[in-house]
Amino acid sequence: MKALFRTFLRLAPLFLFVVTAHVVTTAQTAKLQLDQLDVLANRASETVDVKLDEHLMQTTAKFFSGKDTDDAEIRDLIKNVKGIYVKSFTFEKENEYLPAEVDSVMSQLRGGGWNKIVGVTSKKDGDNVEVYLMSIGDQIAGLAVVCAEPKEFTVVNIVGPINLEKLTQLEGSFGVPNLNLPPPKPKSER
Amino acid sequence: MAKILRLGAAIVLAVFMPSAVRADRDGFNETVRVIEQFYHVKHQNIPVLARAGVKATRTAAKIRGGDYKRLAEVGSVRVAFFEDQTFDSHGEIASFKAAIQHALNAEWSGLVQTLAPKTEEQTYVYVRDAGKHFHVLIVTIEKHEATVVQATVAPDILAQLLKNPDEMGKALTDEATLSDP
Repeated sequence: MKALFRTFLRLAPLFLFVVTAHVVTTAQTAKLQLDQLDVLANRASETVDVKLDEHLMQTTAKFFSGKDTDDAEIRDLIKNVKGIYVKSFTFEKENEYLPAEVDSVMSQLRGGGWNKIVGVTSKKDGDNVEVYLMSIGDQIAGLAVVCAEPKEFTVVNIVGPINLEKLTQLEGSFGVPNLNLPPPKPKSER
Repeated sequence: MAKILRLGAAIVLAVFMPSAVRADRDGFNETVRVIEQFYHVKHQNIPVLARAGVKATRTAAKIRGGDYKRLAEVGSVRVAFFEDQTFDSHGEIASFKAAIQHALNAEWSGLVQTLAPKTEEQTYVYVRDAGKHFHVLIVTIEKHEATVVQATVAPDILAQLLKNPDEMGKALTDEATLSDP
């Protein structure tokens, strides 16, 4: 018993390190786990999956030269972005996916430092658009947009300091679809 | 102490062995093999001479802002064709996606994947570091044909391609496989 206790004491720092590392990485990252949505691909009539990670973003950001106005704008937009992740599923018929199947994403957004800043529901069309923001201290750590429609489910997750205005500028580029988001209110800008 | 050392060694092996074992895979051949095994099809390589006259395509020129510059580095393109064969995943298109992901080692990052099970249309774009350049691997599948292209691109070209990742696979595949009419 004593030997077991001694082994436990020796391993305790390692165990503590592993647990702490896990808590820190899961608590402070704005990157959502989206791979579990892949099961919808077999039923969807069209699936789009875009993953631009931090290494790729930062390596290529410096190649958007300041000479070209468009490129300079893009460079400013993405220079601190640590990742852009998009998953979009389009279905032929309504209700081909169940709320339970996308709950793995919604449950991440209900906790872990995410705050809903925009929610638009259309009773007529059944469309539901929600925008979430994660802040750590004064800094924006990431943004997530969930568009749930009867025939479509889309998640956009941007990791890094980005606000709604910047997101609107990114629409149509870097795999970010046109989300038709309501214009941001000046007061909510950070 | 010996127990702790053994535990440490086990953790190191568990973390690093799978990637070390798979590090020698080049990606291109593994991808071609996965397509052949999953769809029961056979590929054909394009003879080098047939590619000698490969020129720009409209998509590639558009991405480069009108003035055509080659997207892929000269001599870096590898192509495998699958023509006049049937691609049917029998409702298991997600399994094929997982099989490709599994075949490629961790150096490859999946950039864009588009799937349309009904028409069997699929596009996969993977990227990995290659020193000062990047390797790009593109898989395009339709109902009766497929193409696998691997090319080396400069970072400034990749930056331009990333602005429109949906078009990226098409631009590079077009450059590697089509000639101007």
